[in-house]
Amino acid sequence: MLKVQHLVKIYPNGTQALRDVSFEVADGEFLAIIGLSGSGKSTLLRCINRLIEPTAGRILWDDIDITAASGAEMRKIRRQIGMIFQQFNLVKRSSVMTNVLSGRLGYVGTVPSLLGHFSREDRARALANLAQVGLEDKAYVRADALSGGQQQRVGIARALMQNPRLILADEPVASLDPVLAHSILKYLEQLNKERGITVLCSLHFLDLVHRYATRAIALKDGQVVFAGLPHEIDDAQFKAIYGQEAERVSIT
Amino acid sequence: MPPTTLVPFFRSPTARTAALSALIPGSGQLYQRRYWRAALAFLTTALLLFLVNWGLVNFKIGQVTVGGITTSWLWLAVAGFWAWNVWDAWAVAAGRRSSAGVGVLCAAVVLYVLAWNVTDVRIERLITRFADFRKVAVDIVNPDLFSIAVDGEKQTCSWGCLLNAVRAGNLAAIAPSENFGDILGRFKPVEAGGLWVRLGLAQPGQTITTFIPGKLFETIALGLLATIFSIIVAVPLSFFAAHNIMSRVWGGAAIYYVMRTFLNVVRAVDTVIWALLIIVWVGLGNMAGIIALTIHSVAALGKLYSEEIEHIDPGPVEAVTATGANLFQVIRYAVIPQIVPPFLAYSLLRWDINMRAATVVGFVAGGGIGFFVVETIRLGAYPQYAAALWGIAVVIIAVDAISARWRERILSDQSPAEVQAPRPWYTSLRTWSYIFLGAALFAGSWLLLKLDARVLLEPAPTFGRLVRDFVTIDLSPAVLDIVVKEILVTIFQALLATTFGGLAAIPFSFLAAKNLTGRSRLLRWIYYATRGLFNVLRSIEALLYVAIFVFWVGIGPFAGVLGLAVTAFALLGKLFSEAIENIDAGPLEAVTATGANRLQAIRYAILPQIVPPFVSYAIYQWDINIRMATIIGFAGGGGIGLRLNNYFGMLQYHKAGTVVLFIVAVVALMDFASAKLREKLV
Repeated sequence: MLKVQHLVKIYPNGTQALRDVSFEVADGEFLAIIGLSGSGKSTLLRCINRLIEPTAGRILWDDIDITAASGAEMRKIRRQIGMIFQQFNLVKRSSVMTNVLSGRLGYVGTVPSLLGHFSREDRARALANLAQVGLEDKAYVRADALSGGQQQRVGIARALMQNPRLILADEPVASLDPVLAHSILKYLEQLNKERGITVLCSLHFLDLVHRYATRAIALKDGQVVFAGLPHEIDDAQFKAIYGQEAERVSIT
Repeated sequence: MPPTTLVPFFRSPTARTAALSALIPGSGQLYQRRYWRAALAFLTTALLLFLVNWGLVNFKIGQVTVGGITTSWLWLAVAGFWAWNVWDAWAVAAGRRSSAGVGVLCAAVVLYVLAWNVTDVRIERLITRFADFRKVAVDIVNPDLFSIAVDGEKQTCSWGCLLNAVRAGNLAAIAPSENFGDILGRFKPVEAGGLWVRLGLAQPGQTITTFIPGKLFETIALGLLATIFSIIVAVPLSFFAAHNIMSRVWGGAAIYYVMRTFLNVVRAVDTVIWALLIIVWVGLGNMAGIIALTIHSVAALGKLYSEEIEHIDPGPVEAVTATGANLFQVIRYAVIPQIVPPFLAYSLLRWDINMRAATVVGFVAGGGIGFFVVETIRLGAYPQYAAALWGIAVVIIAVDAISARWRERILSDQSPAEVQAPRPWYTSLRTWSYIFLGAALFAGSWLLLKLDARVLLEPAPTFGRLVRDFVTIDLSPAVLDIVVKEILVTIFQALLATTFGGLAAIPFSFLAAKNLTGRSRLLRWIYYATRGLFNVLRSIEALLYVAIFVFWVGIGPFAGVLGLAVTAFALLGKLFSEAIENIDAGPLEAVTATGANRLQAIRYAILPQIVPPFVSYAIYQWDINIRMATIIGFAGGGGIGLRLNNYFGMLQYHKAGTVVLFIVAVVALMDFASAKLREKLV
């Protein structure tokens, strides 16, 4: 169970990204986070693994206070939380294999990892995870030689190396060709259903929310303006989230 | 005036702003919250007031006597600037566009009139003393490289003589001259010993013929070793000067600022000046040269490296951090893979720069070709000096080309098509051959330079005094007067040199732009000739040109200006021509499509694209020239370097410390100002 309580984030330049955000996520849920660009989705996800320090509020995960964790404790928490990024965030000049193995860094010793050494099991696991996303033949290719969709699958494989109980996905399909969106989200759905990994995923398109999410929350100007089941988002709700000018568009 | 009429006037914010600026320049702009403008107006006015007064008192610059009062007509230009500042304040308040034209003009009049006078510009000497230059020029064209045996006696044999010998089939009489041997090296029979005997290649006492490398090889070794040492030191240092790394460490911000300041201070002092300091520690010789080159190079590389670390894509750093990795792991897996190509490229660039610096560091440190050059100048041996110049040009042009080609290859960063699992590095023959080659070059250079690390532990007795005097520097008014005067001369030298060099470079740069000269065979030849001219001129350091100009126009700041102008011409010519090559053809097409004629097209489609980079490069060059101007005094080019050399010579270290302090302040300030200005321009 992940509990976000009264979360506030004010950036040093004075921007109020999150204003008193509270919600809960049960284990095994696929929670979609929707809202316009700049509504605070990315900030919210990054506060959960504290890539961004929240200004106030608490985040409890199985009753451990993430917001109070020390540096070493935080790293132990982070290694159980996989993260997937809009821009994939692979090290482009490193091989796919190295990128995937870097997901294991929270578990291995500093000295061997600095020397580039990973155990036989870790390497086998990396290949298995690459196979899971259909890229086992690309293991030794440099990451920048892959297409966007392939890079995002490497990103998923990297997150899987962490053996995560929770995955944070920040607009995982926004930089991809619309036709590739489903292929990526299906992997996330599979992980959610088969392995019971909780997924928090920010999304742009409402029909993707309908298709994959078990529950949704909507942010507007850093506040939660909707929380409920995806099909409950009617036209009035839609206008409240996206503004009066917005029109529904779909991606198929 | 009754207050009733004044009040409505000052109620108008525009009038109030203008009145403020009339009282104190910049205050009106400050009142309008235009902070940069305010600072610029205030500081420039203050600077002009100071400079005109300084010029009048010290050099009687612009002195006129009007109605019995002796003053300077330059005050008119200062008044002009003041008036412009009032107008600017009014324009800002009224929301109008304000043009800097008049202000820049007034400031430029003051600067150039002062510069012209304090650097003792005597253009006429270029003509009246041309005969002196001709003698040197003839020697430079005919370097002492070969000798010919005439009646059993060796005579210098230059190009004409060589040609005759070839025609006459008399090549056997030609041999490399002594000078050639000094510069490049010679084969010499020596008694075998040491390594040869130990390796079993010769018997003890046996005479073997070996190659004794000349000064040019020493110079190459100096540049190479200094580059290797500075990379080793600068790479770890740069992480402490990178904001994005240090912000993740407790107390990192403080370390970052200390580190950055340290690098900037060290970088502001030229290699040759470092050499002056270092010889007090380790004595004359190659060791002093290596240390001086390394220190400056560490600071320069440290800055470039750390900026490169700051410019990496933050995405992977975020992603690896999110997996629970610690700082070292994040650096190893997200930072290092990204910085390898730019680090390699900058290291190669630095190798190029270090090789150039290595050709002159010997002026002071005593080693390499620089020392040889000083000797030839002292003896007036210009054919020998010329041979050294030719040798330097060949080496530096080669280094420049190799470094540029490698950099291009590294930065294109092609991803290999390899899909096999990579083998560990220690099983690769190629890696081992690189390691072996590197080690051999390192050891060879070390042996060639006859370096002995023990001298580091045995500083000269005056070293303690140097350290003590540098801490308690002399800031008495008498010394300050001299130092301020010399540093201003230095700045003005750099200004004039950049102006002369830049103006001369503009027409040539068009001839060296590929996109303008591709049309006919003649133009293409002109293109290659101009490019070649830039490259040859660029390969010789300003200090070496100064040595020639000293002979032509006499010792003094003007010779320094001319020496700097030649290098400015070469570098700006190259940069300008590249700026022309980089213009976007789109606007030209669009303007031409509107029916504009050729001149109109140049005015509206080309000029707007090349003026900002030209101005930006010129400012950059001024910045570089100030740094170089601090050392041209070592070759008789005037400015602060001469004074510094004298203070060191007379062991007046507390005064030398003052000079170094001022150099650091001025160079760092100009560096900052030029970076800010260029940021605004581009």
